[in-house]
Amino acid sequence: MNPVFDIDCSRLHAEQQRLQAIYHPDRYVGASERDKRVSVQVASWVNQAYATLQDPVKRSRYLLEISGAEIPDDATTTSDTEFLMEQIELREQVESCRHDQDGLQRSDQIGTGLAHRADELARDFVSHFEAAEFVKAIESSRKMQFIQRIQQQLSELQFELEDL
Amino acid sequence: MALLQISEPGQATVPHAHRYSAGIDLGTTNSLVATVRSGEAVCLPDEEGRSLLPSVVNFSNAQPLVGYEAQALQTSDPLNSIASIKRLMGRARQDVIQLGDVVPYEFVTSEGSNVPRIRTLAGDLSAVEISAEILKTLVRRATQSHGGDLDGVVITVPAYFDDAQRQATRDAATLAGLNLFRLLNEPTAAAVAYGLDRDADGLIAVYDLGGGTFDISILRLNRGVFEVLATGGDSSLGGDDMDHALGEWIIQQGGFTDIDAKLARHILLAARKAKEKLTTAESAEILIDYRRQKWSGTIDRQQLEELIQVLIQKTLTACRRALRDAGISKNDIGQVVMVGGSTRVPLVQSMTGEFFAREPMCDLDPDKVVALGAAIQADILAGNKPDSDMLLLDVLPLSLGIETMGGLSEKIINRNTAIPVSRGQDFTTFKDGQTAMSIHVVQGERELVSDCRSLARFELRGFPPMTAGAARIRVTYQVDADGLMSVSAEETTSGVSADIVVKPSYGLTDTEIESMLRASMEHAREDVELRMLKEQQVEAKRVVEAINTALAQDGEVLLSKSEIAQIHEHRDRLEAAIETGSATELKQLIKAIEDASEFYVARRMNASVQEALAGKQINEVDI
Repeated sequence: MNPVFDIDCSRLHAEQQRLQAIYHPDRYVGASERDKRVSVQVASWVNQAYATLQDPVKRSRYLLEISGAEIPDDATTTSDTEFLMEQIELREQVESCRHDQDGLQRSDQIGTGLAHRADELARDFVSHFEAAEFVKAIESSRKMQFIQRIQQQLSELQFELEDL
Repeated sequence: MALLQISEPGQATVPHAHRYSAGIDLGTTNSLVATVRSGEAVCLPDEEGRSLLPSVVNFSNAQPLVGYEAQALQTSDPLNSIASIKRLMGRARQDVIQLGDVVPYEFVTSEGSNVPRIRTLAGDLSAVEISAEILKTLVRRATQSHGGDLDGVVITVPAYFDDAQRQATRDAATLAGLNLFRLLNEPTAAAVAYGLDRDADGLIAVYDLGGGTFDISILRLNRGVFEVLATGGDSSLGGDDMDHALGEWIIQQGGFTDIDAKLARHILLAARKAKEKLTTAESAEILIDYRRQKWSGTIDRQQLEELIQVLIQKTLTACRRALRDAGISKNDIGQVVMVGGSTRVPLVQSMTGEFFAREPMCDLDPDKVVALGAAIQADILAGNKPDSDMLLLDVLPLSLGIETMGGLSEKIINRNTAIPVSRGQDFTTFKDGQTAMSIHVVQGERELVSDCRSLARFELRGFPPMTAGAARIRVTYQVDADGLMSVSAEETTSGVSADIVVKPSYGLTDTEIESMLRASMEHAREDVELRMLKEQQVEAKRVVEAINTALAQDGEVLLSKSEIAQIHEHRDRLEAAIETGSATELKQLIKAIEDASEFYVARRMNASVQEALAGKQINEVDI
C-alpha cells in the first residue's frame, strides 16, 4: 500500500458508508451486550478513520505519522517569519471586514484567496512528502493548519455579518 | 452473538421468525404508538379508536390513570395530574423553576439524588417514572393489539436533546420493561415516514409546529444516511397561541367583561373549535353561552389568518436562523416535511411553502408522522427487512468537553461529529502514590464550564500507586449510536483498569433505577421471573445456534482442535441446561460460553475486517 495525499473524497465517503452498513450498532440490536459493544467500537473506528482522512490537515498529519515522521507537540508554532507576517496580515484583513460596509463581499474575496493558499500549501506538502523530506512536510502541514484556522474565523465572522 | 454472523447488507442471515416491534412518539402534549403491519406503518388506536394518548398521568389512586381520563382530572386535581412531563426529562430543579408557570406542581428534592421529584398522592415521582407510565400504557395497547409481547421499540426524541435528556428517556424505557432498540431523532423519523431515505440526496427541512412548541430541523440526506445539520425553534410557540389570539378577538367582539377562569376556558375551547373548522370551511360560527354571558358571531378564514399571521412569521424567522446555522440558503432545501397538528392550518402551509419556495409535504397525518417513522425504523432494526439498506447515522448534537483548570471546558468531541465515536486522552498523576482521579464532563458549546451543561462526574479509582508523573492513564470517552456517553480508563503501564463511579449531574444513578425497577416488579414478581427464564432460554438457543453456524463456517480455519473442543464443551453444557436450568444458571452459562469464545469472536472480527478492507478500496481509495 502506497499512501498518498490526493484522494477522491466522494469515494472515501462511499467507503465509510459501506463499512457502516456492515458494522453500525443498528445492525446488531438483537445481539448480546458484548457484541453490541464490539460493534460500537468498530463503528467508532470507521467514523474516526473517515474524520481523519477527509480533513486535509488531519490527513497530512496522519500520513506523516504512519511514515514514521516525528511531529513535535508544539505544532501550533512556526519559525518561518515571512509566513508569520502573512498570518498577521490575513487576520487583520478578516477582522477589518467586521466594520466595513462591504464587509460580506470583501470576506468572500478573502475566502477565495484563502482557498487558493490552502491548495498551494497542500501541493507543497505533497511534493515534500513524496520526496520524503519530512521536516519540510511537517512545516507545510502546520501552515495548512494555520490557514484552516483563519478560514474558520472567516466563516464565523460571515455568520455574524449575515446576522446584522 | 451477532458478530458471529457478520454479513453484508442485503445478504440473508439465518432466517428468523418475524419480530414484533413498535415505534413510540413520546410527546410533550400527546404520545402515540405505531407498528408495521403487512409492510405498512400504522398507528395503534385505543379501544375507542383514538390514536392520540394525551401525555397526562394522574396519581390520585394506587393505579395511575394515563391519557384522556387523566386529562379530564386536570382542572379538578391539578397537583396529581401531571402534564408536559417531557419538559422535565433530564432536568434539575433550577431548570424546573425557569419553566415558571408551565408546571404548577409541588417539587421535592431528596437527599442523595439530583433528580427533582413531584409530590403526588402516589408518592414523590421523578419525570422518568411518570414517563414510564405513559410508555406502559402505549405498550399495553401494542401487546393487546398483537396478542403477544414486543421484541423491541424505537422511541423518538427531539434532535436537540442533550445526553441527560436522552439518558432519562432511555431510563424510562428500562423502567417500563422495554427493550429499546434505539432513540431516534423526531425530524429524522418524520423524514423516514415520508420515505425520503429512498429519495435522491438532498437537504430536508422538517417544520414541526405542535400545540405549545415549534421546532425546525435541517437534515442532510446522503445515500440513505440522514444527518442533522441544525435545529432551532421556539419552545413557547404553537397552536395554543393561535387559540389565544382568536380568543382575544372573541372577547373584543362579544364585549365580555368579568372574565373568570372558567369563562376564559370556555372561550378558548370555542376558539379552537372555530380554528379547526376553518381548516376546511371558509367560515365558522362561534357561540358563547356561559351563564348570563351570551354571544354568537361568525368568523371567516381571512379574519383568522390576519390574527395568526404574526405567529407564523415568528416560526419563519426561526427557520431563517436554522438555515444560517446549517450554512445553507433556503433555495438549497429540496423537501419540506410538515409535522405537528398545527401544520393543518392552511396559512401555515401556504406561508411555509412560500418561504421555502416549494410545496410542503403534508399527505400524512401530521400528528402521526413521527410515530410512523419510528415504527418503520423499529421494523428494520428488528431484522424484518433484511433487504433494507437504510441506515440512520446521527451526529452528536452538542459538544462534549471536560473541565480543566480555571473552570474552562476543553472540547473532547465536537458537535456534529458522526456517532458512534470514541476519543482517548492521556493523563498522568501529579502526586506520589495517587490512585484516583476525577473527571467532570460537560456538554455545550461555550468556553466556560459554568455556561455548559454538567453531565456527570466520573471518579476513577484503583490505579496502582506510582511516583508522580509515572502513571499513564488512558481515559476513553465513548459515545454510542444514541448519543449517550460512557467513560473507561486504564493505567497503561500496568494494564490495570479503573473502577468508575458515575455521578450524573441530573440523571438517576443506576442504583436508583434498579430500586425503582424492583419496586415496580414487586406486584408481578412471578410473571417477571417466568419472563426472565423465557428470555434466557431464547437467548441460549440463539447462542448455541450462532456457535454452530460459526464453527461450521470457519471453525477449522481459525481454531485449533483443542480450542474447538473447549468451545464444544461449553456449548454442550449450555444446551443441556436449556430446558432444566433456571434463568440465573442459563445466564451464567451464556456468559461462560461468551467469555470462552471471546478470542474466536475477535479472530472472526479481524478476518472480517481484513476481508472488508481487502476487497477493493486499497487500490481504489488510495489511502
